[in-house]
Amino acid sequence: MELIERYLEAVKFWLPRRQKDDIIAELSGDIYAQIEDREASLNRKLTEAEVEELLKQRGNPLLVANRFQPQNQLIGPELFPVYRFVLKIFAFGYLMPYVLVWIGMMLFSPAFRIEQAHASGLGAIGSLISYLWIATCLVGCPVTAAFAILERMQERMHLFDCWSPRKLAHVRDLNHIPRTNSAFELGFGLIFIVWWIIYLHSPVVWIGPLAQITLSPQWPWLFWGYLLVALVNLTLAANKLMHPQWSEEKAVMRLFSDLAGSLLLCWLMKADLMAGFAAANTTPEQSLALTEAFNHWMRTIFPVAVALTLVVFATNVYRIVRLHRSQKRDSL
Amino acid sequence: MVTPLNPEAFENLRLELRRGCLVLAVLAALRREQYGYTLRKILSERGLEIDEGTLYPLLRRLESQGLLASEWREEEKRKKRFYLLSVSGALVLEQLLDEWSSLDSSIREILKGEK
Repeated sequence: MELIERYLEAVKFWLPRRQKDDIIAELSGDIYAQIEDREASLNRKLTEAEVEELLKQRGNPLLVANRFQPQNQLIGPELFPVYRFVLKIFAFGYLMPYVLVWIGMMLFSPAFRIEQAHASGLGAIGSLISYLWIATCLVGCPVTAAFAILERMQERMHLFDCWSPRKLAHVRDLNHIPRTNSAFELGFGLIFIVWWIIYLHSPVVWIGPLAQITLSPQWPWLFWGYLLVALVNLTLAANKLMHPQWSEEKAVMRLFSDLAGSLLLCWLMKADLMAGFAAANTTPEQSLALTEAFNHWMRTIFPVAVALTLVVFATNVYRIVRLHRSQKRDSL
Repeated sequence: MVTPLNPEAFENLRLELRRGCLVLAVLAALRREQYGYTLRKILSERGLEIDEGTLYPLLRRLESQGLLASEWREEEKRKKRFYLLSVSGALVLEQLLDEWSSLDSSIREILKGEK
């Protein structure tokens, strides 16, 4: 029967090379035995449609052949969670921040936009995708190869036998705030506030006896804004020192103070902070050039401040969501 | 409200449960020499349906582990591969049957305790 021969040939193609003939002989015997059995019970020859149905019941030739293959896995179930974890670190620790910074630069830096895409949006997305693809290949391929080698060696190396309950990591309470951190925040905050008030209360800042910087007219707003944020942070640090557990109230307060600090930073970058510079042995032209260079540099790194704001916002929101979930779990 | 298990998940659990039993059934059935098709029929007649895509790879695995012996012979004008339980296969079958009985009685005990 031609259909049977075609089926067997299709199965044979995918079989392990050394066993091809042997397996096909056995499968062929089984198919013909089944047909003979059916014909004997029906007392007639099977039609081609019935043979076709019988072969269909046996399954796709590729799947049938696959069952005879040895179980080959590039990375087995024992190592796979570690492999996935490493790839996740790469994805969330490198690719995602890269994309966020890229989006920030594209939105707020015209120079970067032109450099990336020659003013074409599609070209910019294409260059981003090609960079991500290359980075993924450069990291993903060696990582996969390393895990595939480990997979082959793990039985000989007894990778999973070398462990002890004493060597396992201590349980981390994510809601606990180490008192040393709070004490450091408190001390640093106090020093910062004193320094801020003494040296930056006026828009004219002296650098040594011979040089002075005149700050932008917007400086009083920035001065009081940062002072307010620093005072809120100081209060929060004192509270954390006394009650070293995160609560939703503390987390929300931290979100607002961090967000205010980050937004002030963004404003600072765009505010043409240096209004003038004067120093001994410096000509007015040199002072002007220095002032413009400084302000240009601040504007250039503005997208970094935006990306930082996004990261700060995401971290704080994550903390609030985590606290909310853990409180919900505890109340159950 | 009880959410019924979806049919696919149940099928996976059923197959998992059957997988070990199939080895036992095949070894037990091959205390007498059989070739693939008759073995499949015998198992099916006793209520244990097994498709050829599962049976033949299983027979090859058991043979490579030395639990079965096989030989090609001509019968009714057709070449067939006959399988028979080997000496070490018989020993393993005995041990597996003990394990089976022990599991069976453990589960019965657990079910009795639950009632």
